[in-house]
Amino acid sequence: MEELSFVGKSVPRKDGVEKATGRALYTVDMVLPGMLWGKILRSPYPHARILNIDTSRAERLPGVKAVITEKDTLGIKHGFVETPRYPPDQYPLAMDRVRYIGEEIAAVAAIDEYVAEEALNLIQVDYEELPAVFDPEEAMKPGAPEIHPSHPKVREPYKNIGGKTESGWGNVEKGFAESFLVREDRFDGQLRTHCYMEPQATLASFDFSGKLNVWTSSQGPFIKRAKLATTLGLPFSNVRVLKAYVGGAYGGKIDLFSHEFCASLLSIKARRPVKIVCTREEVFGAARHGQPIFVQLKTGVKKDGTLVAQQVKVINNSGAYRGSGVVVIFLCWGFVMLCYRIPNLKYEGYSVYTNNPVRAPQRGHGAPNLRFAVESQMDMIAEELGIDPVEIRLKNARQKGDILPNEDSVRNCGLVECIERAAKTTQFKEKYGRNKSLAKHRIRKGIGMGVSSYFSGSLIYPNASAAIVKLNDDGTVSLITGALDIGQGAETILCQIVAEELGVSMDDIRVVAADTETTPVDIGAWISGGAYVSGNAVKIAASDARRQLFEVAAQELEANPEDLIAKNREISVKDSPGRSISFTQAVAASIAKRRGNPIIGQGHYRTMKDVPAHPSLATTKGRWSDNYAFDAQVAEVEVDMETGQVKLVKATTAHDCGFPINPLIVEGQIDGQVSMAQGHALWEEVLMKEGQTLTTSFLDYKIPCAKDMVESHYVDVITERYEKDIPYHTKEVGEGYVSGMVAAISNAVYDATGVRVKTLPILPEKILMGLKEKGNKPH
Amino acid sequence: MKKQLIELRVNGESCELAMESQRTLLEVLREDLGLTGAKEACGTGECGACTVLIDGKPILSCLTLAIEAQGKEITTIEGLAKAGELHPLQKAFIQYGAIQCGYCASGMILNAKSILDENPKPSREEILKGLEGNLCRCTGYNKILDAVMAASIGKD
Repeated sequence: MEELSFVGKSVPRKDGVEKATGRALYTVDMVLPGMLWGKILRSPYPHARILNIDTSRAERLPGVKAVITEKDTLGIKHGFVETPRYPPDQYPLAMDRVRYIGEEIAAVAAIDEYVAEEALNLIQVDYEELPAVFDPEEAMKPGAPEIHPSHPKVREPYKNIGGKTESGWGNVEKGFAESFLVREDRFDGQLRTHCYMEPQATLASFDFSGKLNVWTSSQGPFIKRAKLATTLGLPFSNVRVLKAYVGGAYGGKIDLFSHEFCASLLSIKARRPVKIVCTREEVFGAARHGQPIFVQLKTGVKKDGTLVAQQVKVINNSGAYRGSGVVVIFLCWGFVMLCYRIPNLKYEGYSVYTNNPVRAPQRGHGAPNLRFAVESQMDMIAEELGIDPVEIRLKNARQKGDILPNEDSVRNCGLVECIERAAKTTQFKEKYGRNKSLAKHRIRKGIGMGVSSYFSGSLIYPNASAAIVKLNDDGTVSLITGALDIGQGAETILCQIVAEELGVSMDDIRVVAADTETTPVDIGAWISGGAYVSGNAVKIAASDARRQLFEVAAQELEANPEDLIAKNREISVKDSPGRSISFTQAVAASIAKRRGNPIIGQGHYRTMKDVPAHPSLATTKGRWSDNYAFDAQVAEVEVDMETGQVKLVKATTAHDCGFPINPLIVEGQIDGQVSMAQGHALWEEVLMKEGQTLTTSFLDYKIPCAKDMVESHYVDVITERYEKDIPYHTKEVGEGYVSGMVAAISNAVYDATGVRVKTLPILPEKILMGLKEKGNKPH
Repeated sequence: MKKQLIELRVNGESCELAMESQRTLLEVLREDLGLTGAKEACGTGECGACTVLIDGKPILSCLTLAIEAQGKEITTIEGLAKAGELHPLQKAFIQYGAIQCGYCASGMILNAKSILDENPKPSREEILKGLEGNLCRCTGYNKILDAVMAASIGKD
């Protein structure tokens, strides 16, 4: 195989210098002449009818340039999901009813933030409070206050059902009857939040030609354009969403947010640029958090630990609108069936409306809470059967070439090797259970394993990516891509691919990115398909440019194009030393001798190219993804038996991401996910009381800080390859590794203490309570 | 509110500004001087993204009034590279993968600089302790530690 020069190498980030010198401009940094500041009026009630909104006093306040309410809108709803079954259900500004505290009612644009803030105080809203419900199980009961009518296809005595997913195969009842052991447990995930460092921010500028220019802190411009254009009633091409650097997102900045709509509509009304930057308190109190789910899990196994049947019920508290709630209940089915072979499965997921803020995906989108449940119970079963945690996982692990029940192939699945190598490198078997033979120590050590799997790109608008690679006559290359770098390193890995295909250096490549006007469509940084879908589009575009370049070079060198190679900024004839021209000369020759042809390569790529649409969210039928990533993660913890404090000492991630295009970036993704898992497993929780968010700052909501840093180890299980002229099948690496680690931490805490905590986060008091219940006898 | 005239020394240059006395140093740096490298992520002194150096010491510019910084030497991330040459910490942050989204980077790098200025050979624990007020949600701090360690021992 040809040796690679750039792909597979730990090259530094393309945008590193901009960011290290403070020159990178984020949306919060952008300023335009004549810019106004926007502020949003939010509902103080979890559920109320809006009787009247009087904005007249606000409009008269000097310095106020525009005020908007629903009356200024077209009344077009939007949603994370917009399908015939699940039509959009949220107005960008509340119409006649508010359904959560923080829901947007009106917005103001003024000469500065203080005037805008003051104007909000002058808006008079008359409400009639309505009964509210916050807990999904309460909300499902027949007598509960109705937030929205239940979905027409959910014919059950439940209320407030936003959506339902049902799937399964085999016969679980028969499976349970044939099982040696059946366990049933409930595991509760908590409400956690992204904590992107850059708050939600948007700058919108409507010009007199009817064009709306938008910079917004997001995860991809194309979905923002689509939803802004739709809700504003503008043609897509009249909305231009441009690139700004993004200060973190993790799933929290995907679809349309009201502040983006408000900045845009205020700009249209005021005919001046309008910027809205949410405060951290607004982000905590009104923006979308992750999806809190609970999992009822019943599992039957043979005496040797082989899975026979699994029955899973997931209930999601989706908040006041659908958000991604109906997606998470689909995904949880997938996160159940991917890792292990389950001959009989019954799955049902409910997404339930409550009077809480709307929810969004958060790194892993259901997988962390779901895998926490499955992997915790896996260890419980193993213990009952007297099998060790490694063996029970190996026995059931998904194997290379397995065809999933939805007809996806897992192709090259390295899960078995991940489990084996994770166990070996951590000496898992030697360490596991060591507390049982130890005398009473105050600090106890524990080790635990979790496995997970994640898809790598699926079909959801805009479904595909395209790219343009333009060669310039000074020998530089312009990569024109719709991909948005949100910190994950998209621009860097895409440039590595271009450099590899064209034999130029990283510095030769200029990136034009994430601009709906000038760059082709991109799948977006939120469906785990960047490296695979956008990467292949760029690979095709670059090799198209190379093919054209070789035609010119072949003429110059009097050789066959098939005999040429591009490397080190030179195009040379294979096995003919000395017969070469520089990359720059070849490009210049094309322009000079081919009537100005500058060489522009094009490429586009779509995952599952012949599959018409994404799988059914309701029935799970249909293909889901081309590639699945797998991992086995091991957590090593120390627990203070007197205080219940848990310290995550070491995290090992053995993972099959296909192949790492940039190992340094892959390591960074793993470290970040380990850290997020640490917070998720041990501390983080957004506390709510009757719809009111109580944790509204980084003091209330503790995320890991430098002192909490976990020693992170990586084991790469390489299952795919990168070769010239064929698409590659690398897998996702950006969000799948939170889940295994959350589960591993939970299992490690059990190994240390004998306390099984089934409700996240694993707070010290839960461990102490568990110890007390056990009569202070840990193991 | 009445404006007052103040003089700030930022990155080696003096500038005179007329401003209301309640404005924070962060606001003045970002809005009046166009130095947007210092970021606001919380506005309440919890995250460290707004860290700048005053007389070499890290301070939270979102909690510091601009008038308090008069007569002192303010260093922002924009003043760290000299004559186009990046500071060793900036180089190390890039090379060791310590930057992802980059939003925390300016505060993190400036705080790391103050740590190394005070103690050129800190231990891992001293670095982590020193950086605990600078939140980063992307990196888990592992590569940040690598970068600061590398800069401390003069490794490129």
